[in-house]
Amino acid sequence: MTDSKEAADPKGRKGRGAKVKEGMKGVLYGMAAHGHVTAALRTRMYLEHLFMFITLGDMLGVPVIPPYYSLKILPYAVPNIKSWKQRVFRERDFTDQVF
Amino acid sequence: MVDILSTPFLWVVVTIGLYGVAYWGYGKWMDRNVWRSDAKKATPAHMYMDGVEYFPVSRYVLWGYQFKSVAALGPILGPFIGITFGWLPALLWIIGGNFFIGWLQDYGAMMLSVRKEGRSFGPITYEFTGARGRTNLLAFVLFYLIIISAAFIALIAVFWNRYPGTFVATLGILVAGLLCGQLLYRVKMNVFAVTGIGLALVVLSIYLGVLFPVSFKVGAAGEWNIPIWAGVAVLILYVAAVLPTPTFIQPTNYLAFYPAYAAIILLLIGALATPFTNIPVQMPAGPIWFNSDLGPLWPILFVAIACGAISGWHSLVSSSSSAKQLDIETDALPVGGGAMLSEGLLALVSLIAYMVLAPGSFGAGNYPSWVDGATRLTTPFLGGLTQPVLTTFFGLVLVIYALTVQALVTRFFRLVAAETWSEGRFHVFGNKHVSTVVGLGIPWAFAVSGSWWALWLYFGGANQLLAGLAIMLITIHLAKVRAPSRYSLIPGVFMVVTTLSALAWQIWSFTNSAVQYLQGTPFPGTNPDPVGWILRNVRPPINVKAYALVALGINAVFVVVGAVLFLVGLSMAVRLFRSYRVSLTEARTKVLAAADGGMRKT
Repeated sequence: MTDSKEAADPKGRKGRGAKVKEGMKGVLYGMAAHGHVTAALRTRMYLEHLFMFITLGDMLGVPVIPPYYSLKILPYAVPNIKSWKQRVFRERDFTDQVF
Repeated sequence: MVDILSTPFLWVVVTIGLYGVAYWGYGKWMDRNVWRSDAKKATPAHMYMDGVEYFPVSRYVLWGYQFKSVAALGPILGPFIGITFGWLPALLWIIGGNFFIGWLQDYGAMMLSVRKEGRSFGPITYEFTGARGRTNLLAFVLFYLIIISAAFIALIAVFWNRYPGTFVATLGILVAGLLCGQLLYRVKMNVFAVTGIGLALVVLSIYLGVLFPVSFKVGAAGEWNIPIWAGVAVLILYVAAVLPTPTFIQPTNYLAFYPAYAAIILLLIGALATPFTNIPVQMPAGPIWFNSDLGPLWPILFVAIACGAISGWHSLVSSSSSAKQLDIETDALPVGGGAMLSEGLLALVSLIAYMVLAPGSFGAGNYPSWVDGATRLTTPFLGGLTQPVLTTFFGLVLVIYALTVQALVTRFFRLVAAETWSEGRFHVFGNKHVSTVVGLGIPWAFAVSGSWWALWLYFGGANQLLAGLAIMLITIHLAKVRAPSRYSLIPGVFMVVTTLSALAWQIWSFTNSAVQYLQGTPFPGTNPDPVGWILRNVRPPINVKAYALVALGINAVFVVVGAVLFLVGLSMAVRLFRSYRVSLTEARTKVLAAADGGMRKT
């Protein structure tokens, strides 16, 4: 999901034809699939929120599972803690849910 | 080859040319001088990148996404009512509305959200108008969603009833969607292979639709058909709203995309080829200043044609997800403005599909005639396909546009209901199933009782009012940062005044119908019975004298709905105008700044 311009054309050496092809592919992808990909990512995000809450509920003062199991999962969960906090604390409104 | 001036070809070329001026002239000027977009400035997609909601996306991908999100049934059916005032006023509104207001709103909403750290319209409304303003917006959106749902459920029912091949074809696409979802997510099949299988199933569905048309007649003249078809639509929508999106909505919408956009391309080719296919314009140019069923040209035309000229829904889309994924600020013009101008072309070709029909085939209840016009435009170069195939195909396109959008609207209603009622005395309405039943049950009742044009004008009124309010939010921001705000203030005031006037006209129209009936005034139609005053506003089976009291009640409900929309809209508009005045005063006392929040050179 990175910027396709940069991914496909890192040194800016592509010809006009290749750029048009890239653009057409981008438009088709955007029309047909981008919304669905974003929706799938959001679903995964909510499931991850739930997973982190269950496994690391202790951090929030909610011991959902015994700390023994939390500690066993900790090494796998640690890399995601920063982005999880960033997402879970973000202010969300009903108008964010339109698409 | 016929006289080129008698075909719609010239109007397509003129509109494309003027949209080009709007984009490369007015648009670029606004981008440079009012918003002062800066490609080097970090956008929310970079500042808050999380790989889920905030991440930079190529402008081509985002344009495709934005266009797909805004272009649906609105630009196809709005011109049907618009053309009853003559095709020339409808065409001028599609050109002028988009040129001066439509793209400006979509682009401005996106830029506003980008400048406000990717926040959507809810928090921005809260910032500019306070908690009450946001609550107002929430109430307005709830009503708006109910009205949209009513209009779309009524349309799905009418399309199925009018084109018997479309029901089996629709079911085929739904089943194909379910199957593709399983292949994609459970079997983990390659997406290209799944797409190939899905498209083959779509073609098979259309073929089966032609082979097995579903038509029935319940009641002496089939007057119960629409309530039954609407009930079937509601059942499908309920399943779509409560199932997880990857199971049903997502794959179905993905498959539906292909026939829907194939139809747009075919229609555009058909319109451009009219000098060679000898298809002239047949409808009168107008202007017809007053329509006895609908009312005066101003303000009705301006709410009848919403999407394609300007639509408030787009402001929610622009500020909801597109703004969070904008790579650089200068992409906002091609993505927001460009997608809106492209949608104007969809409205244009839809208008042309109506323009080439004979006036005799055009009546108040004949709004699916877009299918007839589209078939007429495309038959000459798709001669290998028979009339029933093309009719089923274009009819199916209408159904899937309505069904896919409505499935998303129902889900959105569920989320808004959860936001509104999840706590407190009415928490039961926040429940997933209860809110879905409410979000479909009330619209079903409207769909089977009110006339289509009444629903469409309320839908258009609510949509356009939202647009006016969105433009006012943009104007307030521009005033706060001391950027030129009159370019959005004038369209904003125009939209708010026009839409409130349209709603006021509708309220008066329903009230007048009820009063005339109660006073016993003869109805000015072929049958002078006073009951005609109230029966004209309802649909079969209620539009008979035996149901006069029910019809009177429905008239009263429409008055209440209109009054609520009007009052909530008015209250919101007053808050926004006050906020604009305060912002203007405050900005005058501060140092000079620009729309990008930085210092303006003097």
